[in-house]
Amino acid sequence: MDFSKVIRKVDFALIFSILALCVYGALMIYSATHGGAEAGTDSYIVLKKQILWIVLGIFITAFAALIDYNQLRHYLIPIYIVNLLLLALVYFVGKTSGGAQRWIPIGAFHLQPSEFAKIMVIITLAIFLSTRKGEISSLKDIALAFLFVLPPWVLIFAQPDLGTALVLFAILMGMLLGAGIRMRYYIAIILTCVLVGFLIINFHVLKDYQMKRLMVFVDPDIDPLGAGYNLQQSKIAIGSGELTGKGLFSGTQANLQFLPAKHTDFIFAVIGEELGFLGSVLLLGLYFIIVSRGIRIAGTSKNMFGSLIAIGIISMWLFQILVNIGMTIGIMPITGIPLPFISYGGSSLWANLVGSGLLLSIYARRFV
Amino acid sequence: MARPDEKTQRRVTVFGAITIVVFSVLLARLWFLQILTGRELSAQAESNRIRAVSLQAPRGIVYDRNGQILVDNRPSMVVSVIPSVVEENEVVLKRLSSVLGMSLKDIKKKLEEKTADPLKPRVIKEDVGQEVVVFIEEHQSDFPGVRIQSESIRDYPNGTLGVHVLGYVGEVSEGELGKKEYKDYSQGDIIGKTGVEGKYEAFLKGEKGEQRLEVNASGDPLKILSTKDPIPGHNLTLTIDKNIQQATEEALASALDLAHKQDYPNAQAGAAIVMDPRNGEILAMASYPNYDPRLFVGGIAAKDWEQLTAEESNYPLNNRAITCSYPPGSTFKVVTGMAGLTENIINTNSHFRCTGKWTEMGEKWAKYCWKRSGHGYVGFSTAIIESCDVYFYEIGYRFYKTGQEKLQEWSRIFGLGALTEVDLPSETEGRVPDKAWKKKWNENKPELQTWLPGDTVNMAIGQGDLLVTPLQMANVYAAIANGGTLYRPHVAKTLYTGEGRISHEFKHELIKDLKLDPGYTQAMQKSLELVCQKGTAAGVFSGFPEKVAGKTGTAQVRGKDDFAWFTCYAPADNPQYVVVVMVEQGGHGGSTAAPAARQILSNIFDIPYEPIKGLVDPSR
Repeated sequence: MDFSKVIRKVDFALIFSILALCVYGALMIYSATHGGAEAGTDSYIVLKKQILWIVLGIFITAFAALIDYNQLRHYLIPIYIVNLLLLALVYFVGKTSGGAQRWIPIGAFHLQPSEFAKIMVIITLAIFLSTRKGEISSLKDIALAFLFVLPPWVLIFAQPDLGTALVLFAILMGMLLGAGIRMRYYIAIILTCVLVGFLIINFHVLKDYQMKRLMVFVDPDIDPLGAGYNLQQSKIAIGSGELTGKGLFSGTQANLQFLPAKHTDFIFAVIGEELGFLGSVLLLGLYFIIVSRGIRIAGTSKNMFGSLIAIGIISMWLFQILVNIGMTIGIMPITGIPLPFISYGGSSLWANLVGSGLLLSIYARRFV
Repeated sequence: MARPDEKTQRRVTVFGAITIVVFSVLLARLWFLQILTGRELSAQAESNRIRAVSLQAPRGIVYDRNGQILVDNRPSMVVSVIPSVVEENEVVLKRLSSVLGMSLKDIKKKLEEKTADPLKPRVIKEDVGQEVVVFIEEHQSDFPGVRIQSESIRDYPNGTLGVHVLGYVGEVSEGELGKKEYKDYSQGDIIGKTGVEGKYEAFLKGEKGEQRLEVNASGDPLKILSTKDPIPGHNLTLTIDKNIQQATEEALASALDLAHKQDYPNAQAGAAIVMDPRNGEILAMASYPNYDPRLFVGGIAAKDWEQLTAEESNYPLNNRAITCSYPPGSTFKVVTGMAGLTENIINTNSHFRCTGKWTEMGEKWAKYCWKRSGHGYVGFSTAIIESCDVYFYEIGYRFYKTGQEKLQEWSRIFGLGALTEVDLPSETEGRVPDKAWKKKWNENKPELQTWLPGDTVNMAIGQGDLLVTPLQMANVYAAIANGGTLYRPHVAKTLYTGEGRISHEFKHELIKDLKLDPGYTQAMQKSLELVCQKGTAAGVFSGFPEKVAGKTGTAQVRGKDDFAWFTCYAPADNPQYVVVVMVEQGGHGGSTAAPAARQILSNIFDIPYEPIKGLVDPSR
């Protein structure tokens, strides 16, 4: 075995960063849950679960990294169908939580298909787009791309999971850009979206609480105890961390339950409060590494397919990082998007680990 | 499958740019939050978890002069909820609604009140019964977020007794909070609104204590950080005598009854005062109609308030002893008499002929004595005893002819037209009419602006535009009784600290020394004594074992029945009590007001009271 060859195939920076993120996440989850109601009698229980997901997930990453991603090209239809089936299953056997049906119970675990849907859409869309020979110049192609994404998008939007629906849209836009769409069309799409967004808000297509979240984003004082509450508490928590934070495990906002959902959507607030600006910069640094590596993988991939998968994955990560952290610091409206590798949740973690594995696979095979 | 070419490379670079932008934005915002504004957000984080709870100070107790409790405090159970726990929980709200007997809508309205601290329990209902408390405590798991606390609230154990003197308490209003004197108060504080509760608020309220607690997001206290104990309010002893007050209120009520029996059905209101002429201490002050101050405890119900302020209720909230002013009728003649003597308009030997009709101002402006057949040749004493109007018309006319408004000056000397500054709120100064007033009053009617001789003449017998309060008249007669000193009337006697030490004694306070001529004063005093022996009040006081000196009065008010007055003092040779009774639209003073005064004096001197039959006093 030629060691140097093996080393060249492995993106150590990516692996290290991902592991570091998983550990960072586990640590913060423990901090967020060891005193609270979620913990119950065993203050490690949430941490234990997350560690389990991480450990199992690493195997999945390894598996994804070791297979040849090009083989996926043969499975366009099956993957697409499975995606739709899983999403549809939510409506039939799904558990409701917070007014939305998002989970499928499997034994003692909950599977959240919309998380995996993101990966499956990336893969299938990449297959589709890569047959267009690196140019999306006709409107027909663009329309087809949209139609391609539409069925899973609708199923997700109707759950209702506005956040993930937006992520899918970001993935689509990112991949279109990467696939070579003509600029004028791209700009036209963006303008159309702005218009549609405007119309949606004015014609009350959104549910009440979704409207409230948008309004509260604009003016947090509108509903200081309801939708604005999380936002206020989050900003206070993060801001009060100042440079070095209050110290690991000692965030008063989090521990004293002022901040709900602190181990899921608002987990960044725990980082901000306990580890301060330095801790936030560390997190952003790790994310910067994985995104940069992803971009490099997209650039050095041996084929369009690999590039597109990589672009899809980094689009997903960029969007989620921006919106989740942005939400906690008050520059984005509140949505239920998890922070990759950090937010508690098996499905989200595994989906991101699968994505990471794919990236590793693409990187490993860039030479041939 | 094509290898990514330059174009793709460029697009990939675009992603690099986007990435840089995204991270820069996040970094910049974090810099702002954590480095630039981190300190203030830190402070906000602190204030989230430390709560200052104010501790209620026990309000001072009010006693009568003999130590009997007039106003007290009692414990009340208050049901409150934590809004964030209960808000979305319809089931719990419905249970609350049924156990408290409140509509769901009312409960939700309480939850929505904006200004209260959002993390503090919101009061839903005060003064709930024991059964409610027991039920909620036994089913605690059915009522998450519902708390029961004990609070101290105001109690008026004697119901309506003395309500106009005592006043009532209520929550401080937004308008009041804006004012300087209420700068230390906060929303939800209970303050005295009227009566001594209002006047002595600053002493009765004590000082709130404070407890600083560390709390969690539900507002549950985790740890007490510090405690500052509240300081109880001062206790207040009044000059009021509870028994005399009781008797006074009863007498006033029976005066109204008597008026109705004498064909004065419109007699629906009145006032009565008992005062000590030696020092201005008020032993009783009654006003009718009255109200129950307990209606206000815990917040007055809207329908009760509407009823109290409706016209048909005849304004029970007004203290007619000081807040309303009336023409005094013949009770004013003592002022005219003393003024006439002192200004040498007349002397104690002056006599006039009363034929029942008086035409000194001309036939066209003839005036009449109440006794149409006339009193004949009348001297000073008889004029007072029989309340002869003609005698006083003469004095009035002579005053007019001096052109110096001396009658007005003497009215003011006796304290009319000015506040007595009694220690109760909402006093009115009444009115002493003069040339300047008449001109201003009729600004829009120039033909009515001139002061006419008839105006002074009317004023001399206490009719016309002269307006006085029953308390002002009490003070006039106190000055006559004590030889010429106006003391400031007051209801407060002593303030004690919470521990029982005397904090302040309210001694008598001089308004002024009238410097009355002792000879004239004696003449007047003697005449007043004779009023009750053989004059217009003789029938009422016949057989009364104590010597009473007083004056009847019947005031004419346009569009209404006559207002009945009786002002007196006793014992006549060593006056200790001044009694004033006034009945709106009660008819003649001697027939309606005087019997009530006798009833009051009977109680004061411990004489068994017998109602008098068949009285008619036709005088003015």
